[in-house]
Amino acid sequence: MGRASRISLLIQAGTLKSYFPNSQIIRKGEQELRWTHTVTPTPLSKSYTISLHYKYGKGAKVYVLHPKPLTLARGKKLLPHVYSTPEQRLCLYYPKYREWTPSRLYVRTLIPWACEWLIHYEIWSVTGEWYGGGIDHENEAEKTEMNNAA
Amino acid sequence: MEYLNFEQKRQFNEILQFLGESLDITQTQFDAAVRSYNVVGEWLSSPESQLYRYRPEILPQGSFMLGTMIRPINEDDDLDIDLVCRLEGKQSSWTQADVKAIVGNRLADHGTLKKLLELPDGRRCWTLQYYDSANFHMDVLPSVTSTGYRILMERTLTEAEASAESLAIRITDKYEDNYKTDSIPKNWPKSNPFGYGIWFESRARISGREIKLMTEAVQPVPKYQKNKLPLQRVVQILKRHRDIMFNGDEDKPISIIITTLTARAYQQETDIYEALQNALNRIPAFIEERWSEKHQRNIKWIPNPVNPEENFADKWPEKPKKEENFYKWLFQVKNDISEAIGQSSMTSIMESLKQPFGENLLNEALGGYGKSLLHQRESGAMKMAASTGIVGEVGRTTVTQHNPYGKSK
Repeated sequence: MGRASRISLLIQAGTLKSYFPNSQIIRKGEQELRWTHTVTPTPLSKSYTISLHYKYGKGAKVYVLHPKPLTLARGKKLLPHVYSTPEQRLCLYYPKYREWTPSRLYVRTLIPWACEWLIHYEIWSVTGEWYGGGIDHENEAEKTEMNNAA
Repeated sequence: MEYLNFEQKRQFNEILQFLGESLDITQTQFDAAVRSYNVVGEWLSSPESQLYRYRPEILPQGSFMLGTMIRPINEDDDLDIDLVCRLEGKQSSWTQADVKAIVGNRLADHGTLKKLLELPDGRRCWTLQYYDSANFHMDVLPSVTSTGYRILMERTLTEAEASAESLAIRITDKYEDNYKTDSIPKNWPKSNPFGYGIWFESRARISGREIKLMTEAVQPVPKYQKNKLPLQRVVQILKRHRDIMFNGDEDKPISIIITTLTARAYQQETDIYEALQNALNRIPAFIEERWSEKHQRNIKWIPNPVNPEENFADKWPEKPKKEENFYKWLFQVKNDISEAIGQSSMTSIMESLKQPFGENLLNEALGGYGKSLLHQRESGAMKMAASTGIVGEVGRTTVTQHNPYGKSK
């Protein structure tokens, strides 16, 4: 795959508005975009407010804003597949595989992935097991944080 | 969530489907059981057997035949498999006691089966206790039928007109007065497991889905049925609730009562959630009261659908605890289901089902659900709806492939 060019934030914002007319979008030119919306990942799910924050040079980050804190499965101290439990920042793709790059639309990638993450989070919160697939890694930042807290 | 909307019902139904699947015995267990009872059948019917000319065959009956068998709560506990040993005719002088003894002696002549055979015999059955590779407990019911029974059974399976009542078989019972004296089968106790099976199948049938429950069950090597009908799932779910609530209590509601009442109350609903709720509401209407000369009062009567003179609740008058437990159970299971539905979300529904159905089972069912969602995404069939972000089979955009990255434990 050749290096595709970055999608303009104007287009990203336009597709976001089209998919989620009631969502909140704040865009600063081509520098920064913040999208916030409340989703229900399955008919029987709770509602979750999620936020996508893109900043030029820093990539796009996805957070669960509400509820905060997310309920943890019994006996667990950390959320699964997140960069940070306190920040509730989700790990949605494996950076090395370039599954997400600025050349891909948020509505086709990060946002559906986040909704899918939420379903698997719900199952995890009841069973303590993650069935959503992906790649396991020990999150260094998170571990350090837990150790400092201990 | 007092009233679930269409999509919510559909999702709840899907989760109950996984709950049912988690209750099933595994294909390995199923195949091992079939292999084991085929060994018994072959041994009884081989040319050197005294029974050879009566073409003995071993057929499943009860929940193994109906596809409503469930795993025991404790994985190490035995599976109880009920079998019929059917003879086509018999030597005219044989009494019930002779038939029972000849079957038993033949089993005892087999090196391996002899070790599995439990002594003394049961009231009506011989029991084989398997404990090596698989843990099961097989009750073999010796019985006599008329010649041509197979043909009659096959006709009953294909022709709606034929009567299930004609499929009654004659069995032996140690406690009958004529056990050792009477050699005329029509004076022997009657049972009708295959007629019952045909009745159950007719209740389970839903339009648009071909079913061959019984045709399959009476094959020499029946196939493992992975996809079950809603009625089968509802019966399994209710039996599980009973098992958790009563565990080893000998006065627990018996499976045949739960199965019969549920099948009667079932109205061909295509989803498990509605079938379950409706059946629970309708069950009491199918418990009759009949005057009993013996007791000089009305007693509860749950008729055998293929022999209305037989009361499945015949033990209730002498053991009121059984009747009491049945109604306690019915109240409790209704309560537990409406409690679950009354929750505000999937996670709280599942949490509330853990206690009445067992935490491990619930976790396993949700695991099945989780795996199916992953599979749905990996096969490119997962979509996300615009606006709500609902992920499922329909939606505006397909969920593309990715690897959630991070520590999952």
